[in-house]
Order: sequence, then C-alpha cells, then structure tokens
Amino acid sequence: MAIPINFIEKRSIPSGTRMVCGFPDVGLVGVLASSHVISELNLVEMAYVDSDLLPPIVVLHKGLPHAPIRIFGNSNLLVIISETAIPAIGVQRLMRKFVEWGKSKNVKMIIPIGGIPVQNRQDIEEPKVFGTASNLDMIKLLEQKNVNVLKDGYMVGPQALIMRYCAEQNVHAIALLAQSFYNYPDPEASAAALKQLSNVTGISINVSKLFEKGEEIRLRAKDVMKRTQRELTKMNKGQEYDLPLYI
Amino acid sequence: MSRSKKNNSIFDLIHEYLEEIKELTEELLPSERPSWDIESLTIEPLCNVSVTPNEVIVTADLPFTDPNSVKVEPVDSMTLEISAKIERRICCEDLGITHQEGEFSAFNCQTRIPVPVEMKKRKSKFKKGILEVRLPRKKGYEIKVE
Repeated sequence: MAIPINFIEKRSIPSGTRMVCGFPDVGLVGVLASSHVISELNLVEMAYVDSDLLPPIVVLHKGLPHAPIRIFGNSNLLVIISETAIPAIGVQRLMRKFVEWGKSKNVKMIIPIGGIPVQNRQDIEEPKVFGTASNLDMIKLLEQKNVNVLKDGYMVGPQALIMRYCAEQNVHAIALLAQSFYNYPDPEASAAALKQLSNVTGISINVSKLFEKGEEIRLRAKDVMKRTQRELTKMNKGQEYDLPLYI
Repeated sequence: MSRSKKNNSIFDLIHEYLEEIKELTEELLPSERPSWDIESLTIEPLCNVSVTPNEVIVTADLPFTDPNSVKVEPVDSMTLEISAKIERRICCEDLGITHQEGEFSAFNCQTRIPVPVEMKKRKSKFKKGILEVRLPRKKGYEIKVE
C-alpha cells in the first residue's frame, strides 16, 4: 500500500500564484534562498506536509513544534521549504506529489531553486546561474530574460524530479541553478539564484543579508548540509559531473 | 592500531583488540554524534577529501576563522588534523543549541587520507573561509608499456 502524503492547509491557498521550491541539495542553495525569501517578504505559513516517508522529526521554533516541510506564502507567491534532508527513498513520491498539489492550486509557474556543483567554486567571485525549463515556452522566457540555458547534461535530485514531473503534467516550470560548492552551504550562490528569480518573475528581493550573514549561515547550516550530502550520495548526485551521452 | 609492546598482559591485548574494533566500526559506520564538543569547546567543520591522479585535496569550511591560526598537522601517515581559532564569540545559543551552555573557541577535525601521500610536501591555502590542503600522492613504481 502506498504511503500517504498529505498537505495540511492552515490557510486558504491562493490560486494562480508562482511556487518556489527550496529543497536540500548541493550547497543548500535552494533552502537558503527560500528561507531568505520567506524572511524578506514576511511570508506566513500556509500549509505543511505530513507523511511517513519523512524522518520522525519535528523542528522546534520558539518552543513550538513544526513539520520539517512547510509552505509559506502571500497572495501571489508560495514558497516550499524543507528543513531536513529529503530521504532518497521517498524523493520521487514526494516530488510528484508537490507537482500534483501545485497543479491543483493552478500555479502559473513552479520554480525550483538549486545549485550546480563546480569544482573551482572557490575561485569564482560571482556564480553564474543556469536555467532549465519544462517546455518550449519556458525556454523562450529564459532566453528573453537572458538566463543561460543549461542545454545538455544530467540533473539529479529533488529539483530534477520537479522538472520531470512538470514536463509530464504540462506545468510551466523553470529551474534556477547557481554554480555552487557541492558540500558546503553556499549563501552567495543562493543570492545569485535569487537575483535571477527577481529577473524572471519581477519579484523584488533584497539579497544583501545573504552576504552580510554569510559566515553565520554557513556555520548554522553545516549539519543539514552533512545529512543532505549523505542523501545526495544515495541519489547518485555525482552523475551531474558526468559527460552527457549524445545520441 | 599497532600492538607495539611485546609480552603484554592478556587484558592489555583484549583492550587493544577492542580499541581496534571500535576504530574499524567508526570507519565503516559513522556514529550519530554531535558536530560540536562542549568539553573541548570545539566545532567539527565540514570537510571533504578528493583524490586526483597526482594528489589528494582536503578542504574544510572554516567560517569566522583567523587565517593565521589555521593549523594542518599530520597525526600519522594517513591522518590529517585541522584546527583553527574562531575569531568571534560563538555561544551554544548562536548555533540553536538551547539545552546546553558554553562557548566555542575553535574548529577541530581529523581526516583520514584514503591513499598514501607525501605529508611533508603538503601545501595549504585559505580563501573565502575555506581551507584547501594539497598532498602529493606517493608514487610506487612505474610499469613500462612496450
């Protein structure tokens, strides 16, 4: 029997918004970006995910327990954030469900944010951001907005699955992937990805705190990074370094 | 572990064997322990080891570190110890640890090097809060290709 995945909605979910996804991945780029958007735009908790596919944990904030995967938002934006590594064993079912839930809310676009690991990250001052799209219309949008399109290669992990299921279900989606460290939290890469999010969506986000608090973020995020790395290894994340097979 | 002393008592030998088993278990099954130690006031940094054909590259993420305080020292032929002083005061609460009190003053970790290297020829650099240590691999012998 399939393990249920339930979305517990605490508020009425607006229809036709954009939905940003920040799941733990290389450099925790998506998580740090989502967390920053939630704080900068004062988004409120609208829903959370309940499933036995997730580890048996709660996240305590100001003494109160919260689910590790929550959805924040306002009238025109939804942001999904996970404060724990997504277990490799449940990643496909969870990501499929996120796309289905987004579709049921008539989201106009799903935007997973993530990292793309580069070996010389230490020598890169301003990480480049690459985009992938779920359909040709979205590719055109990326080109119009001068976002570098990731033309060939492999994507592995939560963001990859979101894109695949969006393509299957004909949901508009753009993944924004910033050059990042593989296994160190990378707030600068998150800032680069958020600049492109602003460019693509027109939503203004001040990213200065990601630079000012960079060292603090790296220190506090290191344990989530370590657990994420273990799950990414199980997902064969290293395949993103592989040369693509041209047929 | 090496059983260096001869004529050890049976208890010493059992103790040495148990230590050896503990080390092997740690290596194969990493234990669930915190990445900080309240007794030594240290934080274990994120660390990574990669092996290339010519060298082993060890990196460690050391935010809030004074570059002059970074020390990289071999513990034995296959283990490297990294330590560094933290520049500012970091309490448990700053890291979200509210059930214990204390202040952390340094980073410390030991990293196992997976292949033989020339420890004495190591080179280090520190950039953007990340330490990078390059250790040339030991060359065995060449096989001539005819």
